[in-house]
Amino acid sequence: MDRRNFLKYSINGLGFLVGASLFIPAAGYFLSPIWKKEEEDWILLGDSEGVPLGKPMQVEFTQRRKDGWMTVEQRRSAWMVTKDGKDFTVFDPHCTHLGCPYRWDEGRGQFICPCHTAIFDLDGNVVSGPPPRPLDRMEAKVEAGKIWVKPVAKG
Amino acid sequence: MRWVEERTGWPSIRETLLDRKIPKPGRWGWLYTLGSATLAVFLIQVITGMLLGMNYSPSPDHAYDSIRHIMTSVPMGAFIRGLHHWGASAMIILMVLHLLRIFVMASYKQPRELTWIVGVVLLLLTFGLGFTGYLLPWDQKAYWATAVGVNISAQAPILGPLVATVFKGGQELGALTLTRFYSFHVLVLPALLALVIAIHLFLVVYHGISAPPHPKGTPPPDYLAQKAAGKSFYPYSIFKDMVMVALVVGVLVFLAWHFGAGLEDPADPNDSSYNPRPEWYFLFLFQALKLFPGHLEYLAAIVMPTLLVLILFLIPALDRSPHRHPLARPVWMMIAILGSSHIGYLSYQGFVSPLVNPRIEANPTVLQGKKLYADLHCAYCHQIRGEGSDIGPDLSITVSRRTDEWILDHFRKPAAVVPGTSMPELHLLDEEMYALIAYLRDIGGSTLYSRRVAKIFEEQCEACHKLRGRGEEVGPALDEIGNFRTASFLKSYIQNPQGINPDAAMPEFGSSLTEEDIEHLANYLAAQKGRR
Repeated sequence: MDRRNFLKYSINGLGFLVGASLFIPAAGYFLSPIWKKEEEDWILLGDSEGVPLGKPMQVEFTQRRKDGWMTVEQRRSAWMVTKDGKDFTVFDPHCTHLGCPYRWDEGRGQFICPCHTAIFDLDGNVVSGPPPRPLDRMEAKVEAGKIWVKPVAKG
Repeated sequence: MRWVEERTGWPSIRETLLDRKIPKPGRWGWLYTLGSATLAVFLIQVITGMLLGMNYSPSPDHAYDSIRHIMTSVPMGAFIRGLHHWGASAMIILMVLHLLRIFVMASYKQPRELTWIVGVVLLLLTFGLGFTGYLLPWDQKAYWATAVGVNISAQAPILGPLVATVFKGGQELGALTLTRFYSFHVLVLPALLALVIAIHLFLVVYHGISAPPHPKGTPPPDYLAQKAAGKSFYPYSIFKDMVMVALVVGVLVFLAWHFGAGLEDPADPNDSSYNPRPEWYFLFLFQALKLFPGHLEYLAAIVMPTLLVLILFLIPALDRSPHRHPLARPVWMMIAILGSSHIGYLSYQGFVSPLVNPRIEANPTVLQGKKLYADLHCAYCHQIRGEGSDIGPDLSITVSRRTDEWILDHFRKPAAVVPGTSMPELHLLDEEMYALIAYLRDIGGSTLYSRRVAKIFEEQCEACHKLRGRGEEVGPALDEIGNFRTASFLKSYIQNPQGINPDAAMPEFGSSLTEEDIEHLANYLAAQKGRR
C-alpha cells in the first residue's frame, strides 16, 4: 500500500471513529423517548370499607405526574367495582371503542357508552356494540384497609 | 454515480477543493490544522446545541428545571451538555491558537488581509455565543455573570445605559432577557457565524493556504511556484486535520464524560452570599476591572477591550512590510508577547483570586425540596426559622422528632396520621415527598448524630465555644448556630476553617477528627436552634 492510499484509509478510519463517538450518544439522546418507561406512583383512593358490593362506584382522584421537567396535576376518575369488599377492580372511564366516557345504567346493571351504544357488563366484558376489547383496567391493591391505584389504563 | 456527478459538477468541485495544491508546510504542518479543528468543534456545538434545544425551555420558570431534566432524566443528556460546555471552551482555545499561528507566521499579509479581518469577526461572534450561552441554564452563575456583564456595558459613555436596556429587553434582568439571549444564542449568532465562516473558507480557498514564512534576510519566494511544488489537500493535509480533530474530539469526550457540565443553584436575585465569576475566557476583563478606580473603570470595561479589537482589525493595515518571519518582525512580536502574556496574567490572577463569600455545597435533592416548599406555598401555614405563618407547626423544630415513614404517611393522608389536622392532601409524587423530607432534614439538622458527639464537643470545642451554658467564650457561642448555618457548611468549616474564612482563628479539625465524627458534630450543631 502506498502512502497516499494509507492516508486515505486512515482518514476514513478516523472519520468513522469520530463520527461514531458523536453519533451514538446523539442517537441515544434523540431516540430515548422510544424506550422511556413511565413509572407511576400508587395513588390512594380511600378506605376499602363502605364501598357498596356488586355496584360500580365512580371515584375521582388527583394525579400529580411528571410532564418532562414539570409536574402537573390532573383530575381523573375511574369506575371501581368490588364483589366481596376484598378484591377491587378499577376500570379506566373511557370506552375501548373510541374513548367516549361511559356511565353505569342502574336499571340494566350494565355500563353504557353514549357514543355508539356499546354495552359492557359488571366485569367489563363487551355485551354488545363495536368495542374491540373489554374495558381497560387500572392496577389496584388493598393494603391495611386502604385502596391504592396505579393510574395507567391497561388493556 | 455519473448522473449525479454531471448534474452537481462534482469533478470540478473536487478539483478546486480537494485536489488543490498546498505549499509544503515544512515542520509547521501541524499548526495548519488549528483552523479545521475549530471548524470541527463548531459543528459539534451545532449538533449538541440542536439536541439540547429539544429539551430546553427558555423561561425563568422552566429553564433551570429543564436543564436539570436533561442532566438527570434524558439518556446521554449529561454527556451531550458536557460536550456543549467543553466544546465552547475548546472552540475559544483553538480559535485563539489559530489566530496566534496566523499572527506569528504573518499569514494575514497581502493578499489575505480580508481573511484575517473576517476571522476577527468570527472570534467576536464566538465570544458573543459564549456570553449569551451561559445565561440559559438560569442558575446562579448564569444570572450573576450576565448581571455583571450587562452592567459593564452600561458603563460605556452616552449609549451605555441604552445598550444595557436593549440587552436586557427592559430595565430588569428577567424573562425578557432570557428569551432575548436565547434568540441570540440559537438563532442570530449561529446564523451569522455560519455565514461568516462560509466567507472565511471561501477566502481561504480562493487565496490558497499561505506558505510558511521565508527566513529572515531572504527575498519573498514566488507563491505560485511554492504551491505548484506542494502536495494536494486531499489526502495529505486532510490526514493531519483528521488526526487533530480526532485528538480534540477525544479530549472533549473525556472531559464531557468525566467532568460533565456543572449546574449551580437556581438563580436567586436576592442571594448576597454568591461569588459571581464569569467563564474563564472573560476572566481577564473581570480582573482588569479591579485595577481601576471607580471613575476610571470605563477604561478597563469599555475602552481597552474596544482598543484591543480595533488593533486586531487593523493589524493587516499597520503591518504591511513584506517580512513574514517572526524574527524579521521584532516589534510586532514584542507587542504580541506583551499583549498575550498580559491577558494570560490577568486571567490567571482572576482565576486564583480568593472567593470573598464561603462556598456552600448544596445537595440537589435538598434544592428540589426547597423549590417545592416555595411552589406549594408551605409558608402560608408553616414557618422555618421565623419565616412564614404560625398556623401549622414550626418545621425547623418539629421535623427532627419524626421518622421518614411518619412524614411520608402524613404527606399522603394527613388526617389519617393527625386526626383533625388542617393540613391539606397534596397528592405529591414519591420523589417529591423525599425531596421535601431532605430539605426539612437539612434545615432542621439531621437526626443523624451519635451520643459520642457530646463527648467530642466537650473534649474539642468547649475550650473555646459556649453551648447550653457550658464552655468558654473565646469563640462565638453556638446555641443558635443551627439558625444560621447548614450541616454541610458546618462540616466543611470544622474540617478547614481557613478554607472558608482565611482570617479564622479556629484550628482545623480535618486531620485530628474522623470525617464521620465531624459529620455527626456538624449535624449536632445544625440542630442547635436556641431555646424557645
